[in-house]
Amino acid sequence: MSLLAAKTIGKKFGGVIALNDVSLNVEQGEIIGMIGPNGSGKTTFINNLSGLYAPTTGQFIFNGENITGLAAHVITGKGISRTFQNLRVFPNISVLENVLIGLHCRIDVSLWDVYFGFVKTRKIEKQAREKAMDVLAIADLASRKNDLAKNLPYGKQRLLEICRAIVSDPHLLLLDEPCAGMNPVEMDDLAKFIRILQKKGITVFVIEHNMRFIMSVAERIVVLANGSKFQEGTPAQIQNDKKVQAIYLGDEGEL
Amino acid sequence: MQNIEQRSDKHESTFNNIIKFKSLLENQVYKKIAYILLLLFSVFLPNIVNNMYYMGIINYMILYAILCMGLNLILGYTGLLSLGHAAFYGLGGYTTAILITRYDFGFLPCLILSGIIALLFGILLGLPTRKVRGDYFCLLTIAFGEIFRLVAQAWIDFTNGAMGIVGIPIPQIFGWSIRTETDFYYLGLILLTFTFITLSLLVNSKFGRAFIAIREDELAASVMGINTAVYKIIVFGIGCFYAGLAGSYLAVYQTTITPSNFRLEESCLMIIMVIVGGMGSLLAPIAGVVVMTIATEYFRDIAEYRMLIIGVIMVTVLLFRPQGIFGTSAFKS
Repeated sequence: MSLLAAKTIGKKFGGVIALNDVSLNVEQGEIIGMIGPNGSGKTTFINNLSGLYAPTTGQFIFNGENITGLAAHVITGKGISRTFQNLRVFPNISVLENVLIGLHCRIDVSLWDVYFGFVKTRKIEKQAREKAMDVLAIADLASRKNDLAKNLPYGKQRLLEICRAIVSDPHLLLLDEPCAGMNPVEMDDLAKFIRILQKKGITVFVIEHNMRFIMSVAERIVVLANGSKFQEGTPAQIQNDKKVQAIYLGDEGEL
Repeated sequence: MQNIEQRSDKHESTFNNIIKFKSLLENQVYKKIAYILLLLFSVFLPNIVNNMYYMGIINYMILYAILCMGLNLILGYTGLLSLGHAAFYGLGGYTTAILITRYDFGFLPCLILSGIIALLFGILLGLPTRKVRGDYFCLLTIAFGEIFRLVAQAWIDFTNGAMGIVGIPIPQIFGWSIRTETDFYYLGLILLTFTFITLSLLVNSKFGRAFIAIREDELAASVMGINTAVYKIIVFGIGCFYAGLAGSYLAVYQTTITPSNFRLEESCLMIIMVIVGGMGSLLAPIAGVVVMTIATEYFRDIAEYRMLIIGVIMVTVLLFRPQGIFGTSAFKS
């Protein structure tokens, strides 16, 4: 059984059809990429998947469970984390606190425990901090744990956002254009980081415009165009596909 | 040339001293010692200040400190602007006044019930945060504050209208009857300590972090698994609970309660105190309370210009320290 099965997902905004019958499977442990021209519905797809929108038609089956249209915070609890295209770290709090907020749904403390069970609360808090520090150590951010998130360089903020998403041990991580605004060195770091995540057992779903990056990272690529699934295959297949070249570069015949 | 070097050395050493001082405060042991010293100082304060007039001012400061710390949870931590906080303060005040004068309740049950009733109404006003956001929510809170005041004024059978409830008896807790300014000071100090401890437990837990996440970026917070709708309701309820406690304290301290105690101006004053003191840090609003209370008392002779003076202080503070006197950097413009 695949980790995630999207079945005929459709999304309409009024009369605009943003997604039209997109079906795909994500297998456990793979790195899957999604590419497509601007406005092809890539971000809409993961917004639907992560619960920010509810799809108009179709179903998401995650771990054998129908998660279509659940609220975002519930879906996070079920093990799908994401990052955003336009970087959304919490700017005015420390790096460590950012990661601790990512751990929110795994900290089992009720309001009652906060006031009346502070031995338990303190123990759980301590474990949470250790866990957050472990994740920061993987991303080489441990030494900057007390810096405000907004004072980190851009590439590090991107890494921090991914740390915040993976600290809750998700089964599936959705990355929405993680390379946007990065320089080639930072991109290589990110590619390495994503492979580490894969080794840790996290399935990664990447949307990216940067072809060099996605071709080197992804094991399988899905191409979206005008809200529909256009092509699917290994990076080599996609690179040599005439139709995909056509949607990116235009038809030879049109020239 | 030498002169300049010396000066820069001196500058650097003061800078280092400030850093050292800050890191000293981060040390848990020193922090505890600082708290204990502060508590000791507070306990012996009435022995130092023998003037009843000054004790009265200090009591009002404590009252506003409780109010502002609760409001800071809503405004500074969660970023919800509530201009109806005086209504919850009033709900606490009227609950205590009515229960004590008409139903012969003891003070302690009144205090707890005042808090709980303010909490319930806080949850009620928190419900619309689901749909109504930002400025519109702020308007809603103003409306709630005004409705509360008008009901208190018009429902003469229950609240005695604009005349207010007078002759609230001397409160007693376990045989300790609270009469003098000093007694009220200790009662206030107990309430303030309670407020501080419960709030610091809350803000240092995952709940406090969730509130901050909502302030920083609500969408990202929901993707972190935070049920933002529920957390906003929780924070509203808890913030208002402290307003209820403060209202109860006001009722027994003033021995009268009138609707004019809970005007919109009062809500604005609390917000100004929180902004001047600094948002998003637990004790910072107290600085605002102290500055504003002293200023308004000092210029008592020209009381008509009170709002003007408050305005000048606020503008001055915000010009030089946009985040408030002790605020966190989140509010730097």
